[in-house]
Amino acid sequence: MARRNKLLASSTEATRYQREWFAGLREAVAGGEPLALVNADTPQEIFRAMGIPYVVNQWWASVVAAKRRTGEYLRTLRENGYPDYSEQYSATSLASVLAEIPDPPWDGLPRPTIVLGDTTGDASRKVFDIWDEQDGIAYYPLENAAADTVPVNWWDLMPEQWEAAIGTPRLDLMVAELEGLVRFLETTTGRVFRESRFREVMTLINEQEEWNRRTRDLIARTRPVPLRVDDSISSVMVPQWHRGTVWARDAARRFHDEVAARVAAGDAACPGERLRLMWIGRGLWYDMDFYRHFEERHGAVFVWSMYLAIAADGYIRYGDDPMRALAARFAAFSDQLYRPPWSNEWYLKEARLHQVDGVVHLVGEDARSGWFITETLERAGIPVFELRVDNVDQRAYDLTAVRAAIDDWLITRVA
Amino acid sequence: MSTTPPALKELRDAYDDRPAAIRRRRATGAPVVGCVGADVPVELVTAAGALPVRLSGDPARDRAVADRYLGTGLDPAARSILAGLLSGEPEVDLLLISNDSAASLRLFYTVRELRRLGVEPSLPRTHLVDILHLPHRTTARYNRVRLAETKELLERWSGRRIGGNELAKAVQQHDEARRRMLALRRLRTADRPALRGEDALMAIGAGAVLTAEEHAGLLDRLMLADAGLPRHDRPRLYLTGSAHDGPEVYRAIEDAGYLIVADDHDWGDALAGPLVGEPTLDALAERYQYRDPTAARSSVRVRAAQAAATVERSRPDLLVCYVRDGDEAPAWDFPAQRRAAGVPAVILEHRRYGELGEDALPIIADALRTARPKGEAG
Repeated sequence: MARRNKLLASSTEATRYQREWFAGLREAVAGGEPLALVNADTPQEIFRAMGIPYVVNQWWASVVAAKRRTGEYLRTLRENGYPDYSEQYSATSLASVLAEIPDPPWDGLPRPTIVLGDTTGDASRKVFDIWDEQDGIAYYPLENAAADTVPVNWWDLMPEQWEAAIGTPRLDLMVAELEGLVRFLETTTGRVFRESRFREVMTLINEQEEWNRRTRDLIARTRPVPLRVDDSISSVMVPQWHRGTVWARDAARRFHDEVAARVAAGDAACPGERLRLMWIGRGLWYDMDFYRHFEERHGAVFVWSMYLAIAADGYIRYGDDPMRALAARFAAFSDQLYRPPWSNEWYLKEARLHQVDGVVHLVGEDARSGWFITETLERAGIPVFELRVDNVDQRAYDLTAVRAAIDDWLITRVA
Repeated sequence: MSTTPPALKELRDAYDDRPAAIRRRRATGAPVVGCVGADVPVELVTAAGALPVRLSGDPARDRAVADRYLGTGLDPAARSILAGLLSGEPEVDLLLISNDSAASLRLFYTVRELRRLGVEPSLPRTHLVDILHLPHRTTARYNRVRLAETKELLERWSGRRIGGNELAKAVQQHDEARRRMLALRRLRTADRPALRGEDALMAIGAGAVLTAEEHAGLLDRLMLADAGLPRHDRPRLYLTGSAHDGPEVYRAIEDAGYLIVADDHDWGDALAGPLVGEPTLDALAERYQYRDPTAARSSVRVRAAQAAATVERSRPDLLVCYVRDGDEAPAWDFPAQRRAAGVPAVILEHRRYGELGEDALPIIADALRTARPKGEAG
């Protein structure tokens, strides 16, 4: 993997912080601390408030993929009788508990004592069931409800009017699920849940995501764009996994200030910017150079990925009842990104806000309503390239062919 | 050559051309509600004076348009249902889609959005019935709310109030059909079974397009004919994994000389249990929350326990786990099922919709040969 210069000090600092945190975490777990492995779209805030260390499942999968080790992890699943073609992103970490992985990235994932995931998808909950079969590991499944009808403009409603966006039955259920989770954690870890601490965590998160919102807006309106998407992923996502801490809130502010300084100085990610591109889908962790490849030849720079945008629009929840506000953050989190009409209409809103000329849309095997995203953008006059690969499993990825196809698309449809 | 009992022939005829059965029903002017998945509370539809019909896919149906909307990574059975709806086959007056699998839910989002965008204006009015399945009181309370909404929706749609009497009658009718489906298991699992797996699949699946009363009546007649049916003495298989909404895979296995004595998907044995009992929304909610386990919505542990229980009652020589492309959940169940079953087990992965696959019969034969004591003929 080619080394890339870090454009942002906030990104370097985030990476440093993450390594230091992970080393500390390994030490704490070795010393007997509990550890939770949690899915990305689950209420980590409860763990934060109770002081229970956690690792985000998909973050770990992205680390493994970035080291190009996913194939090895998937082979381990296969050797243990499980499919290597199903839920690769969520299942990568499971290999760590089934067998010893030689020389693992970051010295390996410590063995968790608690795993948390929701029941979205038939296969994804099974991955957590397998965790649950392991000695000393307990799975807390969260129910995942759906709505018959929804208002389209969730991004306007979510900060204050989330009850109208999500609906009372789903929120009532998620509140009950979270109350159950608190009791489960109190019982299994002996930790205490204090409402005052929880309110503090929720306040810090809203502050953090407000900074992300300002940063997103700044990037959207600035031409040429001050940074490309792969410059910002660590600056956004490392604090996202640490949300609810003062460090994470301040990291989001530092990121904003750094971007604002670049804008003020007229610093551009790609000074010859001619085309602004949007990346829809999870990060292509095994080929991060992809995001810069089209700059030199086409002046095409990736200005948007979901990581900053969902931080800006997807997390902020105000309200007097912090548990219900937290339920509102996660009762429909996946809908925001993956389910029509929310997903496609939001991507269109973001495409317009960022003045994009074209969209590269990652459509994996588990494509979730991908047709509507492509159709909605194309109908609005924005060309879309559908990239049909898995974001962590690179076994079917042909780098040369993919880049050539996008070169061609940029020339024939976007430029 | 034995003669097929008339009841079995009628069940087969209804099953073999389910769209035609639905067309005949609509031609009488009776309202028809299309149901996707096994979690639509058919009792409420019946109580509203309509016929609930469960939509199925068809491997022979062209899926190209549906694949465009749903993608090709999703269970082809769901893609085929959408292909049918897009071509008006069958025509229904209302569509209720349950959240009994990820594919059903994705199908709902797709139909809802196609209607919203006006892309496919011929699609019927569609609603979601979001029944969930974690074994908790919190889920039961949520399901109760969703069932009340469904009842109100059906009342508005049909213009008929669903009173206590209507609900009681509908619950009784559907429970009667379920009782007979449960009784049918005995014909499959006897020491020398009278019913092939394919016949059982059709007898159960015919209920998708019949009234509960008609279905119960035909099943009664079939069971009365049991004594006169020929007995099958062949290697016994327990088929687990993906659901089969058509007979093709069963036929391919049984035509090769095997007998499917049990299965555990909700187009087969897992459709029947449990009964509703009390004619109340609470009892309905519990019935659908706790209905028999399936690969799509039950935990690995529950599926393993189900496999052990099914082996005990059906005494198979081999457990065969069939995993259809796009329906991956069963592959995660298999290691625990194999451990729990206590009989030889094989997995058939990456199967195409409606196909057994050329490698399957040798795999099954090898597994049975290996399992048999030396000297015993296969």
